Amino acid sequence: MAEVFVKNEKVYKAKKIAFNIATYVFLAAIAIAVLIPFYWMLLTSLKTEELMLRIPPILFLKPEDWEISNYYKLFEVVQSGPRRGEPLFPFFDYMRNTIIVSLVTTAGTLITTVLSAFAFARLNFKGRDIMFAVLIGTMMIPGEIFVLTNFLTINSLGWYDIMDQTFMDVLFAMTLPFMTSVFYIFYLRQTFKQIPNELYYAAKVDGTTDFQYLLKIMIPVALPTIVTITILNSMGAWNAYIWPAIITTKDEFRLVSNGLRGAFTDTSTGRTDFGQQMASATLVTLPLLILFFTFRKQIMRGVSRSGIKG
Amino acid sequence: MEIRMAKLTKIFTSKNKKEVRAVDNVDLTIPSGKLIGLLGPSGCGKSTTLYLIAGLLRQNEGQIFFDDEEVSEMPPEKRGIGLVFQNYALYPHMTVRENILFPLQNLKVEKEEAKQRTFEMAELVGLQEMLDRKPKELSGGQQQRVAIARALVKKPRVLLLDEPLSNLDARLRLQTREEIKRIQRETGITTVFVTHDQEEAMSISDEIVVMKDGVIQQMGEPQDVYDFPANLFVAKFLGNPQINVFDGEIKNKKIFIQDMEVGKSKLPDQPVKIGIRPEGFIVDSEKTSNLRFDVNLVETIGRDTTLIIDMPGEEKSILDKQSFKVIVDASYRVQAGDLVHFTIKPDKMHLFDFEGNLLK
Amino acid sequence: METKNNLKAWIYLAPMLILMAVFTFYPLINAFMISFYKDYQPLLNLRSAGLTLRNYLIVFNNQLFWKSVLNTFVLAFISVPVSIIVSLFISVSLKSIPKLKGFFQTIFFLPYVTNAIAVGMAFAVLFHVNYGLVNVVLSLFGIDKIDWIGGTASWWAQMGALMVFTIWNSLAFKILVFTSGLENIDKQYYDAARIDAASKWTIFKRITVPLLSPLILYISITSLIGALKAYNSVVGLFGERLGAQPYSMITIVAFVYKYRADFAFTGFYSYAAAASIILFIITLIFSILQTVVSRKRVHY
Repeated sequence: MAEVFVKNEKVYKAKKIAFNIATYVFLAAIAIAVLIPFYWMLLTSLKTEELMLRIPPILFLKPEDWEISNYYKLFEVVQSGPRRGEPLFPFFDYMRNTIIVSLVTTAGTLITTVLSAFAFARLNFKGRDIMFAVLIGTMMIPGEIFVLTNFLTINSLGWYDIMDQTFMDVLFAMTLPFMTSVFYIFYLRQTFKQIPNELYYAAKVDGTTDFQYLLKIMIPVALPTIVTITILNSMGAWNAYIWPAIITTKDEFRLVSNGLRGAFTDTSTGRTDFGQQMASATLVTLPLLILFFTFRKQIMRGVSRSGIKG
Repeated sequence: MEIRMAKLTKIFTSKNKKEVRAVDNVDLTIPSGKLIGLLGPSGCGKSTTLYLIAGLLRQNEGQIFFDDEEVSEMPPEKRGIGLVFQNYALYPHMTVRENILFPLQNLKVEKEEAKQRTFEMAELVGLQEMLDRKPKELSGGQQQRVAIARALVKKPRVLLLDEPLSNLDARLRLQTREEIKRIQRETGITTVFVTHDQEEAMSISDEIVVMKDGVIQQMGEPQDVYDFPANLFVAKFLGNPQINVFDGEIKNKKIFIQDMEVGKSKLPDQPVKIGIRPEGFIVDSEKTSNLRFDVNLVETIGRDTTLIIDMPGEEKSILDKQSFKVIVDASYRVQAGDLVHFTIKPDKMHLFDFEGNLLK
Repeated sequence: METKNNLKAWIYLAPMLILMAVFTFYPLINAFMISFYKDYQPLLNLRSAGLTLRNYLIVFNNQLFWKSVLNTFVLAFISVPVSIIVSLFISVSLKSIPKLKGFFQTIFFLPYVTNAIAVGMAFAVLFHVNYGLVNVVLSLFGIDKIDWIGGTASWWAQMGALMVFTIWNSLAFKILVFTSGLENIDKQYYDAARIDAASKWTIFKRITVPLLSPLILYISITSLIGALKAYNSVVGLFGERLGAQPYSMITIVAFVYKYRADFAFTGFYSYAAAASIILFIITLIFSILQTVVSRKRVHY
């Protein structure tokens, strides 16, 4: 009655082991491919100009050959040209701008997100479902469309003043358009909805107002989600490139991404100082990686949620 | 195909490093061509045993043989078993036909033959008309039969069913268990099924195996196990309503519950646990027997009357009060509050020591 | 049970709605309007009376626009399928090694938390004809030096470098999403498939992929839409010139920004608006396609 039931145990085991090895090799190869750009960035930033220009390139550097001058050269003051008197790469200024923008945007986003998620999850009002659908619909629209008009709006609000732009102008311009996020509202609403209704009715019976209920019950219960939103949102400013470039009139107001590209290329010769360029890239990448390793779980959970939502 | 387990042990390690012996040193031989019910409360290791036979779990110690061939180290796909999962695990994206065909395709069975066998299987389980439907378009009972067809189509050496009836409603359950028995008879395949429902196991199994805490308590034909339980656990687990257990003692070859004599025994004097099946009581209308109780409650359902009686013993508060059940013929007119005299059918009474072992 | 509390709800929604109205809804309509304006000068807010389709015609007659469309489409339609297939394989492999799964997952996620410009610059060095690692590795296989991103780089070389960078960047998200998608598949299907003697490849092809197909479809469309908006990656790799030769790797978004930056010229803002509306329509088509396909091909 029994059919083709192969008995060759050894062959089977050998196959299984071979398959496992192949899996590890495959994953390790991908892992290396993922890590190489980081390695090359760091390696290049530690090379002297002389080592940098070796052909073929040097693949490994002994610790005693590490050259950190590329890093401190970034902070040297430029002697001539339009940026005379400023550091070559005003990393700390950009950092400060980025952190301020990031904090303000995130604070604003949290306020709008928590309030609207509460309304959508808890309150019953006319047109709720239609409005929610419309909001979800806006997630499909490419953000580039908004840039055109938002620039004009910023201009007519007087925040794009070519002659006399202040940091406050820039701060408004950089943060206000990014203080809402439909995805976070959606995400938080889901979390809010999981809080049992009984809790709400119990609070109502105790005479708690809606706002107190939001502050004392819903926010504490949904705290993990709110933390995830905070972290993901605050990473946004690190990647902002086009918008800060568009609405700032002075270099000193820009964010880290803007400072990176274009710097370190001598405009007269067209030659690029790769060492310094990679040193600055390393400096910009490092804070993000530190943030990631600190909040690895929250970040990965939040991001994977954004994929499953469909 | 006979299945033999020798000193089979499976240990699970929980998160806090605690070891649980889910299957503990089990020696068990399942005779060829029989329908065997593996029975026990949840967590007793019956499903683990099934998964060990299937090869989806790997034992820590011991061996498994299919006839004379050792399969202990063999992966599930090589063992030639059919397994029906508790919630069927039908592939939701495949039609019934594709589900049944799937194992044949994997075994590289020739196309025409595969088609033929798929149809035969569908016929066997009575689903010829449903071949092009998706699982979610079928009722629970139909899904169950697809799962059986999928398990049987590759002509396995053994058919394993994990709680096959637990996801069905009461009416379908009765129908499906007859169906399973019929299919097993027609194919003659050695079949092991797992259940926590003693009635289910008793009604269709050729033999049942009762398990507790990873250890086999008793194996045998259902009625034998019911009539001659090996220990108090088995006695309590089989039968509905449960067997009544009294504290009693043997004095001078007589068995007593308190000062009431219930029977005779050749055993030496000692305190005992007395198990008496609810149907083991006979109403003594002469009122000569000294085994007598005040009836607390009377439930008459159809041909039987159930008398609910307070457990004899020291006076306890209402909350601690325990009661036992007696089933008598409905022709006895008994009312709550009546004092009723009983005699006991000796074959419905079992004596156990305080560890629960049967005294013979 | 709950009474309608319209007013209260609107108060809670107000901060979000005001900001969305000003910075999302109005700009959407306004961009649409601007794309039909005649002789528009944005900062002075001057334009001729009436609306025109001319802006669209100018965009359609612009060689650079078609170049940007070609670049964007080639980039999107190759990088998305490749990254999806690769990340599927990676996710399935991860599933079979429970021990080091977390470790690998963390490494694979790193590209997600980086700055596209910074890493783009690192890729530029990697692909440098003389100082880069890529040509070193290729020389091991006997392949001559290729100028990937320098002044003499061919279109395919540049596209290849951009493609590698884009795929590298997009794997992280997909691996994470597919891994959690796989975790949600009932383990019993895999047990059943083992009992049914399915090989690993059969399980992948006939169990994993079909069961994951709604997620795969969703991720395909969203990443396609994302890839159609490529911009930062081009700037990172090639700088503001947008290519080894000026504009050789221009994308649709870059085209929009190029004309936006020239807002001082009469009408250029309208060209940018027209191009952005075209991009919007393209992405809209794909979104609709997704809805239609997922409705038609519901697996279970």
